[in-house]
Amino acid sequence: MKLSLINIIVKLLVLIPAILFVVMGIRWLVAPAGVAPDFGLTLSDGIGLSSQIGNMAGFFLVLGSCMLIALISEHRSWYYPPIMFLAITALGRIVAWLLHDATLAVSQIMTEVVVAIILLLASRRLPKEG
Amino acid sequence: MGRFSLYQIFCGACLCLSVVSSSAFGIETSANTVVDTEAQSPVSRARPNIVFILADDLGYTDIASYGSEVNTPTLTALAEQGVSFTNYHTAANCAPARAMLLTGVDSHLAGVPNIPEMLAPAQRKHANYQGVLGDDVVTVATLLEDAGYHTYMAGKWHLGMEPDKRPSRRGFQRTMAMMDSGADNWEQRPYLALYDQANWFADGERFMLPEDFYSSRFLVDKMIEFIDSNLQGQNLQNTSAKESKPFFAYLPFMAVHSPVQAPKEFINRYMGVYDSGWDALRQQRKERAEALGIVPKNMPMVRMKTTEDWDALSEDDRRYQAKRMAVYAGMIKAMDFHLGRLIEFLKERGQYDNTIFIFTSDNGSEASGPSYPRTFPARLAPENLGYNLDYDNLGLKGSYSSIGPSFASAAASPLAYYKFYAGEGGMRVPLIIAGKPIEAQQSLTPAFAWATDITPTILSLTGVSQPSARYAGRPVQPIIGRDLTPLLSGAAERVYDPDDAVGYELTDHGVLFQGDYKLVINQPPRGDGQWRLFNLVKDPGETVDLSASHALRFQRMLSLYEQYRVDNNVVPVPQGYNQIKQVMTNILLKQRDNILVTFLTLLLLLPFYVAYRIKNTFNREC
Repeated sequence: MKLSLINIIVKLLVLIPAILFVVMGIRWLVAPAGVAPDFGLTLSDGIGLSSQIGNMAGFFLVLGSCMLIALISEHRSWYYPPIMFLAITALGRIVAWLLHDATLAVSQIMTEVVVAIILLLASRRLPKEG
Repeated sequence: MGRFSLYQIFCGACLCLSVVSSSAFGIETSANTVVDTEAQSPVSRARPNIVFILADDLGYTDIASYGSEVNTPTLTALAEQGVSFTNYHTAANCAPARAMLLTGVDSHLAGVPNIPEMLAPAQRKHANYQGVLGDDVVTVATLLEDAGYHTYMAGKWHLGMEPDKRPSRRGFQRTMAMMDSGADNWEQRPYLALYDQANWFADGERFMLPEDFYSSRFLVDKMIEFIDSNLQGQNLQNTSAKESKPFFAYLPFMAVHSPVQAPKEFINRYMGVYDSGWDALRQQRKERAEALGIVPKNMPMVRMKTTEDWDALSEDDRRYQAKRMAVYAGMIKAMDFHLGRLIEFLKERGQYDNTIFIFTSDNGSEASGPSYPRTFPARLAPENLGYNLDYDNLGLKGSYSSIGPSFASAAASPLAYYKFYAGEGGMRVPLIIAGKPIEAQQSLTPAFAWATDITPTILSLTGVSQPSARYAGRPVQPIIGRDLTPLLSGAAERVYDPDDAVGYELTDHGVLFQGDYKLVINQPPRGDGQWRLFNLVKDPGETVDLSASHALRFQRMLSLYEQYRVDNNVVPVPQGYNQIKQVMTNILLKQRDNILVTFLTLLLLLPFYVAYRIKNTFNREC
């Protein structure tokens, strides 16, 4: 019973960010002007705008979708792409700070690391054995 | 070096010409850069600083020198050393007025025939109906910057938020700009659901307001900071007064736009002052304005249909309504107080004697607030934005207040109508031009003046030429305003001849001023949709319609108005247009993206849910 309750909590901890990532991806497709400032971005134009919308929407929709598929399929391998996405994004932010004079985005890095750890935990606990 | 010598020859020639023409104080280079030649002259005095102060939604008799009970000593002191205009008119709402004030061009040609929040989609199809400052107009800030002025702005902009529309790209070197139609005065939050956030920009970049914020105090602090930064630089370089660059400071306050908010100490000064109600206040202000010579003695005055019956209110409602007006008075008082700090700063810095002050309002008093703000439908919108309407907190942080149509009519006393309407209450506002450099005696002028006159007047006062048909390599709209300086010096009694016509349009409300007369139509719901003719000199209260008795003049002015519409690309509003409904529709359209995001999210999640259900069913069956 105790184990089941923990599993439910872990599932919720995966499900909620997954839905938020999907919403974020759709916002990038539908209303990029509203979401760009959340990332400290000013919308570009021409190919720049195309890249901003395409890449950001692609990132978040794949991230959220992989997490949802992982929950439903209960196959461990579906957790690995989102873990890699989040870990490399956090790493990229640190590299940007160290090498390119970007601001150290502490809260964003923390969010990405925490969600990645939750996914790692979920990948250990939730998939069916065998 | 050679260019400088040629320059001096030109300067000498222009100085000679200036004897016969004030416009010859400036010349234009081949690049169309306007250069002040007077400043180059060894005999000339230092060019004056200009402080252009713009109140927001301030009514005709809202300051003491125009008949208000609100004590505004700073503005009174300015009025005592300058010229107060009693027949100055502006647009009936915000952004069109600002466009005309800053460019000298009619609002329709300047790209701002209405605020963008009120434009109908059908109107937006027209290039000049975007509600943002067009690229083919030059602001007075650009002209002054090109003539060697420092240019600063701190306050409400509302002429476009895209990068190339921001004040930092329209001639202002240092800016602290609120980009929306209004915003909270205590913190960074929007006052309408139309805005996702309160959009503040500093020097063209997004800006987060500090925790300790009150709009009038903050804007004056910023302006002092801007001015002081360059004064200190000049002091370090030991620059003399004549060599130092003068400044143009544009200070468009957020006071007294909704939400009406003020510090408690200012509100408390007016608690109990309005307990007699709006009719008594309207009458008191009329009498004071008559005594001050602002309006003719014993002028007739209408009572607006939107004015509620004070005596029919419950005791609790009267108490609440009186406090609404006390908050409004406190906000005016706070604006005057902080303006006083700026003037003290200029005195301390030795700049005051060389500064010209221009004070006015963008339009008349605002009546769009509800008559009874605590009733259910009225409180819905502010409460959805997290505001409260409690009596105790009214005007303070977290509260939403307005004055409503009844007190707005008193604020516009003794005139008819208010903001958004073409009655005098919406269009006639105070204008004071003062300061030692103009050497004017305290006086009132009844001469007609129009919002587009401010830019040419500033250019004349600073000795900067108006732009020609092209500026900075591109064609520009010509300035239509008149130079008001002959009225300041007493050299003329009027700058518009009796046959000169000045037109104006806002959402099919129409006006044509000609001589002493005004042709006007106010559309429903508060207007009757009928053209009327008034003699503004004898009847500024617009009580006696002369359209029948002066039929020939009436027809001639109608014809001139039609010509105005054609010349200025006026686009009529769509059938059934209502400005308040249009704002609501635009708010819903603004929410369209959120609705679409929700719908698409559900659509995308649906297959996952179906897969989950199928898997569960499959597992159970196994």
